[in-house]
Amino acid sequence: MVLSATTDGGERKIRRNGSFGYVVPALLLIAFFFIIPVLMLLMRSVLEPTPGLQNYRELLGSTTYLRVFLNTFTVAGLVTVVAVVIGFPVAWLLAIMPDKWSRLVMAIIVLSMWTNLLARTYAWMVLLQRTGVVNKMLINLGIIDKPLALVNNLVGVTIGMTYIMLPFVILPLIGILKSIDPAILRAAALCGANKRQCFTRVLLPLSLPGIASGALMVFVMSLGYYVTPALLGGTSNMMLAELVAQFVQSLVNWGMGGAAALVLLLVTMVLYAIQLKFLNPNRAR
Amino acid sequence: MTQPFLSIRGIRKTYGQVTAVKNVSLDVAQGEFMTFLGPSGSGKSTTLYILAGFQDPTDGDILLNGQSLLSTPSHKRNIGMVFQRYTLFPHLTVGENVAFPLRIRRVGQAEIAERVKKALKLVRLEGFEDRKPALMSGGQQQRVALARALVYNPPVLLMDEPLSALDKKLREEIQFEIRRIHQETGVTILYVTHDQEEALRLSDRIAVFSQGEIDQIGTGQELYANPATHFVAGFIGDSNFINAEVLSSADGKAKLALPGGTIIDGVPMHAGKTGGKSASLLLRPERLSLSSTQVASGLVVTINDITFLGNNIEVSTQTGNGESLSVRLPFGHEAISSISRGDKAWLSFEPKSTHAFA
Repeated sequence: MVLSATTDGGERKIRRNGSFGYVVPALLLIAFFFIIPVLMLLMRSVLEPTPGLQNYRELLGSTTYLRVFLNTFTVAGLVTVVAVVIGFPVAWLLAIMPDKWSRLVMAIIVLSMWTNLLARTYAWMVLLQRTGVVNKMLINLGIIDKPLALVNNLVGVTIGMTYIMLPFVILPLIGILKSIDPAILRAAALCGANKRQCFTRVLLPLSLPGIASGALMVFVMSLGYYVTPALLGGTSNMMLAELVAQFVQSLVNWGMGGAAALVLLLVTMVLYAIQLKFLNPNRAR
Repeated sequence: MTQPFLSIRGIRKTYGQVTAVKNVSLDVAQGEFMTFLGPSGSGKSTTLYILAGFQDPTDGDILLNGQSLLSTPSHKRNIGMVFQRYTLFPHLTVGENVAFPLRIRRVGQAEIAERVKKALKLVRLEGFEDRKPALMSGGQQQRVALARALVYNPPVLLMDEPLSALDKKLREEIQFEIRRIHQETGVTILYVTHDQEEALRLSDRIAVFSQGEIDQIGTGQELYANPATHFVAGFIGDSNFINAEVLSSADGKAKLALPGGTIIDGVPMHAGKTGGKSASLLLRPERLSLSSTQVASGLVVTINDITFLGNNIEVSTQTGNGESLSVRLPFGHEAISSISRGDKAWLSFEPKSTHAFA
């Protein structure tokens, strides 16, 4: 017993020492291609055109830019809420389905994640445009007279992004929901809880850690999303990433672009810190 | 008494081709402790689940105080249940768990506090209100589950193998608690188990389930002394079976010829296929006696092994045609000193202590 314990401890030590060497390439990669560029961007945001905080002052002081911030949060919030609301039932279904079927549905979801992002976004443009399938179908069914404006606005961005973000809600939720013993829900029912009460008082609180981590993931990813808002959104609801692109590409204003990018990064990091504090998976339950 | 308290009438449950419950009928009196005993897959749990409303029977009815329960959904049946697995709500404290059924029923705050306290006192867990279930032992969790199931004073309490996840010592401790709680509250309990000792220890009456049917209902003593079927005889208490030939039978008594030619008369035999020539004879190990000298109407056996088990001694023997019989002798039995492994010995028994099944 003693001998095996020592060997075990020794092995672990070796593994710990060895593992540090193996992560060096990844750390170097992150340092060179993430941390250094970000620091350079930070420098440019406070140095260009002249040293000082005027870029940040302009960014946070102007109503035009504030509207972009507001719009970014609106879209990210909307996408998060819709993705959670329609993702939860899918995750529940996948959790209670027989394995054979859930594997099939899961494959479809994962396959959609692997499909090229641009292709998927253009597909939504085709579907949602004025003469697109969705509008034609609604007109033919007699539900509407004139085609609805479904692209180049908030609706288009929300639909397109929700679709892309859905797996990030569904996948973490399945694990949590599967770990909930159905007998607990039966016990709740016998205690007198109807279906709605079983959901709000037992299932929902128990799946909250999964909902929260999925929602945060979607929210943070949505904040910095570029392709989908650029293609499906309109000029009046520009998002922060589009603003950064515009500063750098069209206006060649690296100072402002850097400032906007860093504000976005800062918000993301604050949210991440909140997640670490309140949703530590090691502390959950 | 014209109308039974709880009446299960002709319950049948099929899943496609598979029949889980064939035809179960049973009346339970108010305040009774009734146990469904049987091996897994015998339909006992399915019957309990139908009572809880988790499953609908294919056929049959359940009446509580004369009213059918079938059209009432689970959450309106007002039945308590303790499950095999731990089903406390992990996000709530012990106190909140016990309060849950009362909150759902919109009972006032002050009354909730008082009744939760009383329920926890009943299961001897006073002062555990603020504890989270995950920090409690399995036995404590099941006691909280019991408090949660009793706090709203249900007329019937269902228990589905609630102790099967616990170790033996703890199980016996909680069996004792369950008995006490049954006596204190007077609640009608339907208890499912596959453990005959647990059933005998707890129940007023036991319904023995086999292959989707009830083989026999009775007190533990009745089932032991007068088993209705071969299955019940094998399931309650320890048992040996040997083949015998029926020579004649009348008035529930039979005359049998044992292998080796011994003839015994006056063996209780249940009506049924009495015309059958061959029967199976039940011999309880503790009702057999062993002798190193020949006895009249004894059965000749060879001693295979002698095991000392503290308060008794188990002797495993073999008949002339290879059937194994185990004999349990009290410590200090006179035969022990005179027999040893490989010896020939004579088994004897009272005919009325045996039972024949055609």
